[in-house]
Amino acid sequence: MAKIAIDPLTRIEGHLRIEAQIEGGKVVDAWSSSTMWRGIELIVKNRDPREVWALLSRI
Amino acid sequence: MQDESLFSDLSKRGISRRDFLTFCSTMAATLGLQSTVVPQIAEALEKKQKPYVVWLEFQDCAGDSESILRSTKPTIAQLVLDVISLEYHETIMAPSGKNAEKSLADVVKNHKGKYIAIVEGSIPMKDGGVYCCIGGKTAIDMAKEVCGNALATIAVGSCASYGGIPAAAPNPTGAVSVKQAVPNATVINLPGCPVNCENLTATVVHYLTFGALPQCDKEGRPLFAYGKRIHDNCERRPHFDAGQFVRKWGDDGHRKGWCLYEMGCKGPQSYMNCPTIRWNEGTSWPVMAGHGCFGCGQPQNWDALGSIYSRLPNVPGAGYQTTADKIGLGVAAAAAAGVAVHAAVRASKCKAEEDKK
Ligand code: SF4
Repeated sequence: MAKIAIDPLTRIEGHLRIEAQIEGGKVVDAWSSSTMWRGIELIVKNRDPREVWALLSRI
Repeated sequence: MQDESLFSDLSKRGISRRDFLTFCSTMAATLGLQSTVVPQIAEALEKKQKPYVVWLEFQDCAGDSESILRSTKPTIAQLVLDVISLEYHETIMAPSGKNAEKSLADVVKNHKGKYIAIVEGSIPMKDGGVYCCIGGKTAIDMAKEVCGNALATIAVGSCASYGGIPAAAPNPTGAVSVKQAVPNATVINLPGCPVNCENLTATVVHYLTFGALPQCDKEGRPLFAYGKRIHDNCERRPHFDAGQFVRKWGDDGHRKGWCLYEMGCKGPQSYMNCPTIRWNEGTSWPVMAGHGCFGCGQPQNWDALGSIYSRLPNVPGAGYQTTADKIGLGVAAAAAAGVAVHAAVRASKCKAEEDKK
């Protein structure tokens, strides 16, 4: 029984970590985590609604 | 690969001598240099060894990477970016996980003080930097190690240059720029949302040619790209001066390409070369497309310049607001007078016609 972790996962947009539990050569469980957070939901709060598209399109 | 110079690589890719020299001239022009330096640029690009480059992404949207990848002209610029032979770039590199980390560690170890680090995205400082981790390391630790040991760091985009969107109020993660996170590193800022590929290419070419980074302003931005105000190079400027403003999206003035100041354009407070080098192969830029400038290359633009649709408050030292208001009123008054005259003429005509009857 082994656990592997791939971090950073490349060729994707953003930061991602994948962990997998291996048993008998098969993945029996897996976890993914986004390893970056900016809080854009909090940043757009109370802003002029007309400009929110400009911030959210930069996710 | 690494021992070859840029031009040997380009000729392999079918770039002719003429194309190469045209590229060198374009770079000289972008850098605001006289054409006499073209041979010097050409010589440097032909003879100098390709620099080792690593590209780090922290709190980013990969917009700057996209900006680079999408560029198709000048084709050679794209190749220059190939040529800066990225040893590490998460979005496009083949290895993942441990192998990816090894590529980065190898450059830092084997070429200490000689490689260029390009950073995209801001660095979160709050709560021990947990809001951005790569391979189990925080962005701040990575930046200290990679940028701290680099020959120079190029911060691409406004997030790496100033904190950008992540640092906009209330800055939930304590995001800062690369220079703030690693004060002892040599950092040049190429802000913009995203960075313009041509400015990045020109910065690299300048470094290869002169062995130094280009001259910068107090914000750490190279003067060749950020030395001039958007408003002063804008093709709509004659309309600003004439008091011809768009007042509603899609109105007559908007259709005619009038000035976007009243619609929130931040051009009067923004410094960048968008009006001259433009975007998408020199096709257009925001104001040309009919939308005001956001001021994306200005520090803390999301908070300092107000909503992108609210008119800039007093522009310091120039009194543009009063001018625009007065001129605007003047135009409105003239238009009203025109309507009145027209009405009077019509009234008298009608009267005359009635009299005839
Ligand atoms: S306010 Fe904007 S649209 Fe008007 S002239 Fe200045 S930069 Fe151009």
